[in-house]
Amino acid sequence: MSIQICSFPLHPRFSLRACSQTAARSTRIFARTENESSRSDQQQLNLSVLRFTFGIPGLDESYLPRWIGYGFGSLILLNHFSASAPISESQLRSEALGLSLAAFSIALPYFGKFLKGSEVEKRSLPDEGEQVFVISSSIGDSLKEDLAWATYVLLRNTSTVAVMISIQGELCVRGYWNCPGQMPKAQLHDWFKRNVDEIGLADVKETLYFPQYAGSALSWDILPDGTRSVFVQPLVHNIDESEKMDGFLLVASTAGYAYSDKDRAWIGAMADKFRG
Amino acid sequence: MEAARFINQIQIPKNPNRRFSRPPLDFPRIIRASSSSTSQEPKSYRGPKPSKNLVADFVSRNDDSVRSLPIYVGGASLLAVLFNRAVSGIAPVADASSSQSRADLLALGLAVTNLLTGLVWLSIRPKTITPVEPEGVDCKVLEPNLPASILSELLWAWESIKVATCCKSLVIVYNGICLLQIGMAAKSPDANKAVLVNTDKLMTGSVYQGVFKSKAQSYLANLSLYPGRSELPFLPPNTQAVILQPLGDKGIAVIGGNTIRGFTSSDQAWISSIGEKLDATLGRCFLDSDEISQETDR
Repeated sequence: MSIQICSFPLHPRFSLRACSQTAARSTRIFARTENESSRSDQQQLNLSVLRFTFGIPGLDESYLPRWIGYGFGSLILLNHFSASAPISESQLRSEALGLSLAAFSIALPYFGKFLKGSEVEKRSLPDEGEQVFVISSSIGDSLKEDLAWATYVLLRNTSTVAVMISIQGELCVRGYWNCPGQMPKAQLHDWFKRNVDEIGLADVKETLYFPQYAGSALSWDILPDGTRSVFVQPLVHNIDESEKMDGFLLVASTAGYAYSDKDRAWIGAMADKFRG
Repeated sequence: MEAARFINQIQIPKNPNRRFSRPPLDFPRIIRASSSSTSQEPKSYRGPKPSKNLVADFVSRNDDSVRSLPIYVGGASLLAVLFNRAVSGIAPVADASSSQSRADLLALGLAVTNLLTGLVWLSIRPKTITPVEPEGVDCKVLEPNLPASILSELLWAWESIKVATCCKSLVIVYNGICLLQIGMAAKSPDANKAVLVNTDKLMTGSVYQGVFKSKAQSYLANLSLYPGRSELPFLPPNTQAVILQPLGDKGIAVIGGNTIRGFTSSDQAWISSIGEKLDATLGRCFLDSDEISQETDR
């Protein structure tokens, strides 16, 4: 069965050019009409814009200021060092202005990422790591089915590559994890359980979201290399009006800032399914 | 049964257009790693707390002013270059002869880039659409004698869709029975009660038949433009958007929202997944009850 890698937002693009796709080295500027939908909380922010862009498929124009910043900045430095004789003060001022503009341009795409209506990075598969599907054997069939469905849906509808659900200590793990290969399923389950106890994930009291997870800061070895976002949602168990933490749901993705508010709301809804 | 296929191992196909991943810019971040030396059951959580990204918060809060910032920076630098030329007494001639003019040209190029980026950011500013409060009454109509597991599943579906999307009304019809009508409903003209779902009328109407034939989710982003509106009289009259989700072959879920185009494509994907799950659960429950009723008839 194939799963659809859902990149959010889905936006159909259709360009208005009539000629074929031979514009590799052309610097003509084409006008395109785009329908983009964005990741806002309650609304689909649908916008039709007339946007000037090069007609090169696969080229992400939002990073253009960064490249121009690097290019022109290095040219300014080249100009500075190849200039003969004493450099006039006005030239130094121009160069200082140019270099600060270059630094600003380099930083622009980073700021642009946080504006409303920006695109989310697509996920890619991690380099190392095994694709596993481990489910605890000591739980009932209907719960097994629910867990299988929930992990499948999380992998399909968000940019998740690894998901783990723990209910009262029993685990369901699916996706790409950094675990030793060639282990039988029962041992794998215990291996995950040991690692989870090490980190103490069962004790998490509130949701944790790491949109820019740097592998060295956290020592969660079980997550594959190349993981950039991690989201942990504790499962709440209501017994007699007292809330006890009964487990957690962990999702990890190889794209940075992968879980928008809406994604996190849906993941919370999935976690509610396994409540008490 | 359909639910079994979810247990099969899924293969995530390799994305052929794998994007070259850049390392993120290293802005100073405050990361506090909490360590705990207690070793009771369960072990305390040892790991960093999420850090606050000041840049992200600042940009999200001041969206409008950040969008026009590059324009101001680019414009100011243009003027600064010209001013510099004027002050140092060099004629503002744009040729590449002297290194001064080369440096000026490069600075001008960067200023223009910033200007254009600012214009692009302004042009892709999303239009916000305000939600419309639905006119009607709150209702919660459940089919009696439903097994507890089905009931909890239906209510869970309602809670999820209500919290995560702009949905305000939900109606689930399965096997010719209206199992659930919850949320806001149209007010019946005579009494102060909700208009109940007439399942026969719904199932013979064109809306249901269309969805049944196509077996796919139907998203009516702006309900006022849709002629089949009259076949959904139980929804509040000013419902803005509707998703019609078929539940397998035997049922339909009608989800009403309070914003035009309020359901994003992510919402649609999630709702169709929930629809498949409900179909699996309800199908099994009704299959069992059919078998039981056949046995008692015998």
